[in-house]
Amino acid sequence: MSSDKRLVYLDYAATTPVDSRVRETMAALLGEDADFANPSAIHTAGRRSGAHIARAAAQLASLLNTQPERFIWTSGATESNNLAILGAARHREHRGRHLITMLTEHKAVIDVFRALERQGFDVTWLKPDERGVLDIAVLEAAMRDDTQLVSIMHVNNETGVRQDIERIGECCREHDVLLHVDAAQSVGKLPIDLSSLAVDLVAMTAHKLYGPKGVGALYIADRPGVHIEPIMFGGAQQRRLRPGTLAVPLIAGFGQAADIASEKISDDLEHLTTLRSRLWDGIREIPGVQLNGDLETSYPGLLNVSVDDIEGESLLLALEPLCVATGSACNSHKQDPSYVLRALGRSDSEAQSAIRFSLGRPTSKSDIDFAIKQYQNAVAKLRAMAPDRAA
Amino acid sequence: MTGDPYSERVRALFDAPAHAGVLEGSSMVTVDDQGVRVQLSADIGDGSITAMRFLAWGCPHVIAAVEAVCADYEGRAVSDLDVFRAAELMQSLAVPTEKSGRILVIEDAVRSLGAMLRGISGSRH
Repeated sequence: MSSDKRLVYLDYAATTPVDSRVRETMAALLGEDADFANPSAIHTAGRRSGAHIARAAAQLASLLNTQPERFIWTSGATESNNLAILGAARHREHRGRHLITMLTEHKAVIDVFRALERQGFDVTWLKPDERGVLDIAVLEAAMRDDTQLVSIMHVNNETGVRQDIERIGECCREHDVLLHVDAAQSVGKLPIDLSSLAVDLVAMTAHKLYGPKGVGALYIADRPGVHIEPIMFGGAQQRRLRPGTLAVPLIAGFGQAADIASEKISDDLEHLTTLRSRLWDGIREIPGVQLNGDLETSYPGLLNVSVDDIEGESLLLALEPLCVATGSACNSHKQDPSYVLRALGRSDSEAQSAIRFSLGRPTSKSDIDFAIKQYQNAVAKLRAMAPDRAA
Repeated sequence: MTGDPYSERVRALFDAPAHAGVLEGSSMVTVDDQGVRVQLSADIGDGSITAMRFLAWGCPHVIAAVEAVCADYEGRAVSDLDVFRAAELMQSLAVPTEKSGRILVIEDAVRSLGAMLRGISGSRH
């Protein structure tokens, strides 16, 4: 492949490739002689399959420093978020119908709260500061006697900004309110010690940490009062909270990915910190470039930047063959400026020109240098083509 | 699954907009509407357009469309600018219907340029 046709993937916050060791683990469970039996069956073959599930739970528990039996396997973070939020809100409904979340949450959380609003729940939507960080005083002020659940994401998928989950958890405990954390962007990427955090529910997915797509988990803390209602029905699996035959190869792959993350997390963070600094240094001098978020409080694998007077959709196309994400909620019908960046105080134009670079384990210095050059060239090309505003 | 939102022709025109620029000292119009800015400039001789250039701020379909317009009108009669149809351009470039407002901005710019050039052309006779 010639250099001008080179495809450079910097969209690891969207999804990651499957690690070769994860692939091997899963492939071994898909062969003719593999343990294919239903892991819920009590016969020998079923128990053999069940052992793979137990091993995966132990690997995930080791990564997060908790007990293996605390996890419910799901199809991914979207389902985990739905199960946590709907399940907790409905279980505690008799105690109160007030819920709290943030304007900058992922759609997998926002849309669930919107659905609960339509069902009569009262939701307070918290606004972050201009960096994207939640001020604990703002959360404290939103607490009411009838508040039952707070849902705050750990790492924002667009900006990489980290919330102070430790302090948020303490605040929730003081008010006897459950805390759910969408950790899709942080599990396996940042050190998380669930034994020391005051969190009750944590949603996660395998495909953001070099595992397979189609499998996730919900952590449910072993603490009085932490109960959820199921949102699906059809069997006794997983304490009736999430019925259905377990996907043994996917879950085993998730476990293996967690095991690898435990081993690599420190090296990954060092690698990503170096590369993000290189990327930011390469583009920060371009006139009109603005950082969205905050380098100090954010996950180092992510950099979100806007640039003055550049049309976002054209920028994204001009950046090809660089694979990055735009700051727009893009679908085939329209491009809306990112609601996350709007909540940080960015204008429509700034939000619309935002590009999210998300780096991963395979990202190299040459990938970053290529990205810098592509971004510089794309901005220069589009600016040269643009008429003056006042013309 | 998401398909490619751009036709091959749109990609080609966007990648290599040969008519991007300004013809200094020539007739020029600018239209700013629908979140799109389009500037057209043209030189004429003997009632024909000898050169046409554009500047544009907009999505890839807008840039590709205005590049196509400039390439198409060079060498044609000034009066042809009056019969420009945005719908035909949208069809030839497979522009999604939700972007029709943006392409109509180009139609406004072309018509304005036509009116300006006719005035100049008329004053020379």
